[in-house]
Amino acid sequence: MATTTTAQAATPARQARNFPTAQVISLGLPTLVVLLFFVLPIVLIGIYSFYSINPETGLMQQDFTWANYERALTSPIYRNIFWRTLGIAALATGIALLLAYPIGYFIGAVVQPKYQGPLLLLVLIPFWTSYIIRTYAWIGILQSNGFLDSVLGWVPGLPTELLYSRAAVIIGFVHVFLPIMILPIYASARNLDKRYIEAAYDLGASPVKAFLRVVLPLTMPGVVAGIVLFFIPTFGSFVTPQFLGGTGEQMVGNIISEQFKEAFNWPFGAALSIIMTLVVVVAVTLFFRFADVEEIYGS
Amino acid sequence: MAESDVSIRRLYKRFGNLVAVDHVDLEVPSGAFVTFLGPSGCGKTTTLRMIGGFEHPDSGQILIKGEEMGNRPPHRRDTSMVFQNYALFPHMSVADNIGFGLRERKVPKSEIRERVQRMLELVELTGRGDRKPRQLSGGQQQRVALARSLVIEPTVLLLDEPLGALDLQLRKQMQIELKRIQQQVGITFIYVTHDQEEALTMSDRIVVMNDGRVEQEGDAEEIFENPRTRFVAEFMGAENVLDADVADRDGSSARLRIGTRELTLPKALPDGARTAAVVVRPEKVRMDVPDGWRGTVTDRVYKGATMSYLIRLDDGTIVNADVAHDDPAHRHDVGDEMMIAFRPEDIVVIPDTKGA
Repeated sequence: MATTTTAQAATPARQARNFPTAQVISLGLPTLVVLLFFVLPIVLIGIYSFYSINPETGLMQQDFTWANYERALTSPIYRNIFWRTLGIAALATGIALLLAYPIGYFIGAVVQPKYQGPLLLLVLIPFWTSYIIRTYAWIGILQSNGFLDSVLGWVPGLPTELLYSRAAVIIGFVHVFLPIMILPIYASARNLDKRYIEAAYDLGASPVKAFLRVVLPLTMPGVVAGIVLFFIPTFGSFVTPQFLGGTGEQMVGNIISEQFKEAFNWPFGAALSIIMTLVVVVAVTLFFRFADVEEIYGS
Repeated sequence: MAESDVSIRRLYKRFGNLVAVDHVDLEVPSGAFVTFLGPSGCGKTTTLRMIGGFEHPDSGQILIKGEEMGNRPPHRRDTSMVFQNYALFPHMSVADNIGFGLRERKVPKSEIRERVQRMLELVELTGRGDRKPRQLSGGQQQRVALARSLVIEPTVLLLDEPLGALDLQLRKQMQIELKRIQQQVGITFIYVTHDQEEALTMSDRIVVMNDGRVEQEGDAEEIFENPRTRFVAEFMGAENVLDADVADRDGSSARLRIGTRELTLPKALPDGARTAAVVVRPEKVRMDVPDGWRGTVTDRVYKGATMSYLIRLDDGTIVNADVAHDDPAHRHDVGDEMMIAFRPEDIVVIPDTKGA
């Protein structure tokens, strides 16, 4: 009996050693997906960014030139747009953090566990509606004689016609991407052992001090993740500034989409895309180093 | 009695339908090591947390140094808690953990450094101040938690099963260590545990709790030798707790029926008592007497210095008896029959005044 069991167990094990089907599928599939949908597109964009446009036919031709990068990096127009994009994305991220932290912390650490699910659902429901439709909705709210204007227009000094302004773009971003910032903060808050807070109170910390010295540092991983998850799509977005911003709110995403869809200068659009990707990678790397999440939980 | 650091009066707390603490009265003398002992859910931790200000009583009072605490929050009480899992701040070094309370009290930096240093010496962790808590062993983390609470010199130190996460060997070591530190600093300790041995080792006073009430309060010997309720006797590890009926009584004696026989007790029992629990220590059970309860040996366990016999009496009661293992006069095999007895002065009788 015992020998039979051993023999049966041994056979599939030996087969697995000869051809590790499970490993090939479990590691190979994700690798394939990453290669196909992540690495390949970036490589293609990278290749395009060195192509040029034939001045006579206006068509893209294979080439190897740095001209696109040169144009993007030396022209003050594009440099300004990069700085503006960074500024808008940073401001939106900051404002979103002020909203997302209390919400995430409340759901994760204050509310009873049985209400956490439903409240998270409320946070996520907006995601069921398309980004574009939600952005359109803000047009109706922010335009002159729109919802905001008609409700609060009588208050003197209150700006109620915000459409096509920087403020409208920021509002649009905060609304659209807020949930993805709330989620990691919620997760951090939920994992926070309440005894740390009790210990802080016990040792004489006021609620404010306990928050600053214990709660905030211990939920920092969630805050850092939230900031990154919010910042990246905001930085690359073109829909929000296109719908809600004026000409003064053009962001990198807008000029890239313009190059591809209107100017038909794919090589230049590709160069701008590569630069944008590098800027985001550098910014996020610097930010991670600065925030030093490892210091909190590492090793 | 010495002055009280903590006075608890008619303390009552409910969670939903569950009464966690049911009108507890208690005085904790200054400088004492007091242990709340009981099974989980007996209300010991809730009482401790109310003293610390983490829970608020539904009714009743807690006075610390004669001052009524009401709903005062923890950071405005002169108590400090050592948590079950230590709750050391993971993002701070050991020294910063210990100095946390002093910084909140705006103590000058140089003095903080000095006092943290002294605490590290007290708990024998000198030189470990720069480590992060996670780099220390469980026992060391435990001592950091202790130092963090002691450094602010609270009136009362509250300890919530602080040794629960340690292995047996380390626990025994820490028990002695805790007692030493308590005697050295002279601060009142209130210690919560469900381990009666731990309570006996360390405490000046033990408060045995059950179902939110205090069952018995006294020093270790008193609790162990003279349990006042059946619960206390069983919880303190009494091996023989026999059921008895009060057959007869007068002003100075009582006759108890245990199984098939009676035993005359040379002391009065309270009026309402019709049944009682009789506690006999295994080494006080006399084997092979000419006249007594007849029983059969059902099991025999060698325990080093003693041989332990399980004896089934005629009415089915099992009695545990210990004799010196090399005593040839009382050597029996499983299945042997014999008579056993106990002297009235060797037993503790717990009259049940509630019963029937």
